[in-house]
Amino acid sequence: MRRFILQRLASIVVTLWLLATIVFMLVNVLPGNVGRQILGPFAPQVEVDAFNARLGTDKPLLEQYFQSIKRIFTLDFGDSYQSGSDVLDIILPALGRSGKLALLAFIITIPISIAAGVYAARRQDKFADRVIVNAGLASSSIPEFVTAALLLSVFAVHWKLGKAFANPPEGTSLIGQLEYLLLPALAMVFAYFGYIARMTRAGVISSLMADYTRTATMKGLSSKQVMRRHVLRNALAPTITVISVQIGYLIGGIIGVEKVFNYAGLGSTMLSAVGAKDIPVLQGAVLLVGIVYMLSTLLADLLIAYLNPRVRLEAKR
Amino acid sequence: MSLQSSGGGGSRMPAVPTPSTGAVMPPVAPTSGVSERKQARRENWRLIRKRPAFIVGCLIVLVWVACAILGNRITPHHPLDYRGPINQSPSWDYLFGTDKTGRDVLSRVMAGARDVLKIAPLAAIAGVVFGVILGMFMGYLGGVLDLVASRIVESFLALPTVLIALLAITTLGNSSWVVIGVVATLFTPIVARTVRSAVLAERDLDYVTSAKLRGEGKMFIMFREILPNVTGPIIVELTVRIGYAVFTVATLSFLGAGPPPPSPDWGAQVSDNYNSIVAGFWWTTFFPAAAIASLVIAANMIADSVQSVVEAS
Repeated sequence: MRRFILQRLASIVVTLWLLATIVFMLVNVLPGNVGRQILGPFAPQVEVDAFNARLGTDKPLLEQYFQSIKRIFTLDFGDSYQSGSDVLDIILPALGRSGKLALLAFIITIPISIAAGVYAARRQDKFADRVIVNAGLASSSIPEFVTAALLLSVFAVHWKLGKAFANPPEGTSLIGQLEYLLLPALAMVFAYFGYIARMTRAGVISSLMADYTRTATMKGLSSKQVMRRHVLRNALAPTITVISVQIGYLIGGIIGVEKVFNYAGLGSTMLSAVGAKDIPVLQGAVLLVGIVYMLSTLLADLLIAYLNPRVRLEAKR
Repeated sequence: MSLQSSGGGGSRMPAVPTPSTGAVMPPVAPTSGVSERKQARRENWRLIRKRPAFIVGCLIVLVWVACAILGNRITPHHPLDYRGPINQSPSWDYLFGTDKTGRDVLSRVMAGARDVLKIAPLAAIAGVVFGVILGMFMGYLGGVLDLVASRIVESFLALPTVLIALLAITTLGNSSWVVIGVVATLFTPIVARTVRSAVLAERDLDYVTSAKLRGEGKMFIMFREILPNVTGPIIVELTVRIGYAVFTVATLSFLGAGPPPPSPDWGAQVSDNYNSIVAGFWWTTFFPAAAIASLVIAANMIADSVQSVVEAS
């Protein structure tokens, strides 16, 4: 088990290094002068030079590269070009807000979609199954921002339900915030429902056909016990993997949702950083997303190992 | 390509090994001759054509392709003509209403099909071509190349695609070719992984061994012997990728990496108008959004039909 975790941690480090390299390459492909870009074409050359010296963007590329690699591991992303404040002070609160939204979306999605997947699997090829599978396919193939815009037109405008601007005023209670976050979370629920439901369905169908399920039924367990102790335990492993992988992609989708609802999360922060070419913020945010994503997949693997002794034993070997 | 368009990159979760795409295909009649393979392919095609989802998906796509090709020759008004009434709700004169500058939303939605239909398929095809080449080398040659490439592919899969694409398009500019290149680059490792596992299942089969004994070169074995036997997963991957490409391109253009404002691109239209939904002008956002949804769903219906037939065979 320990070896398994160590291996995964090593691959996380490699991936983060690659991520940082890609970001660095993208940021530096254009031979542009950062100071000139930020300060504009009319700034005096002295100021541009001073700006570059302060940021370290006048140093040779290789040195800058090592600098940026060092930054991931020390979690020091420097200062924002726009506001001058520490990048971490900008992106961490934003991550918190996005996390709140994502968490709400997951809390709604996971039980509904697992239940729908199990229900569909037990009625395989019947009408209810078809409806769940096709609705899931449709809802999860639509981009989140489209769902968000459609929900906004229907709920907030026609039915006057939910809020069109997701930012709750300062000091709103946790329950009060729910009203603000409900519509954007719902947009993400639509996007993730299909994947999780389909994955659960596939898992349950294959483990309903497995030998251990037949054995469990033959030895006289009630169907409820068979479901809970044998079928679900095995069927949920792929589902958990899907959920964890989605946490990473969630961030991609969340950008669109946050934009539609004008929510001040990490997605909006990144968008405004892209617009202003605020590279330290962008770099920090992308790497932070990478870290969150990889930790969540690691967590998922551990959870699967916990649920399934076979995986645990294999890892021990 | 003159019209620059929306961005490339991240489908929501391309890395998910869905029960279908991740699986290793059973070798399609490995030792059989060309004619048998052709027959199997014809049989598959017959099965695919019979599926209602495939027919409906194709019809929807055809409607949008017609709009894209004919453009303002068939739109009721000119998509850029701003002389209509401002912010009018849907009526008989303007079926989808008019926007804040008096342009006809229906005409804009019809003309907007062009950008996404030009970029998404090209990006998907380029991604699949590069992915097939990379996956073939990884799977057949193996060794250090495979080890290193696998690591890199895995890391690529962990990247937040939309973000990387956005970053790339911001620095490289948002011309159509950049968008196509970025989306294709992000799709390449995903395709490569699928192809690699399909090739691994083939490389030790008899026909490969006999080709080796005949003294055929590596390139010949890879692209003339193995490639025809792994077309199933490749076709599936291509149809799936086209759906994701539409998704990604639309998302990127909504996020601002698409064509500039006067363009009727769907994502750009949603981005232009979503802030006026709360003022009650829902139609300027609703219809382009619904257009994106219809195209993505249609692409996925086609992909799903192809996938289930190919995998059943």
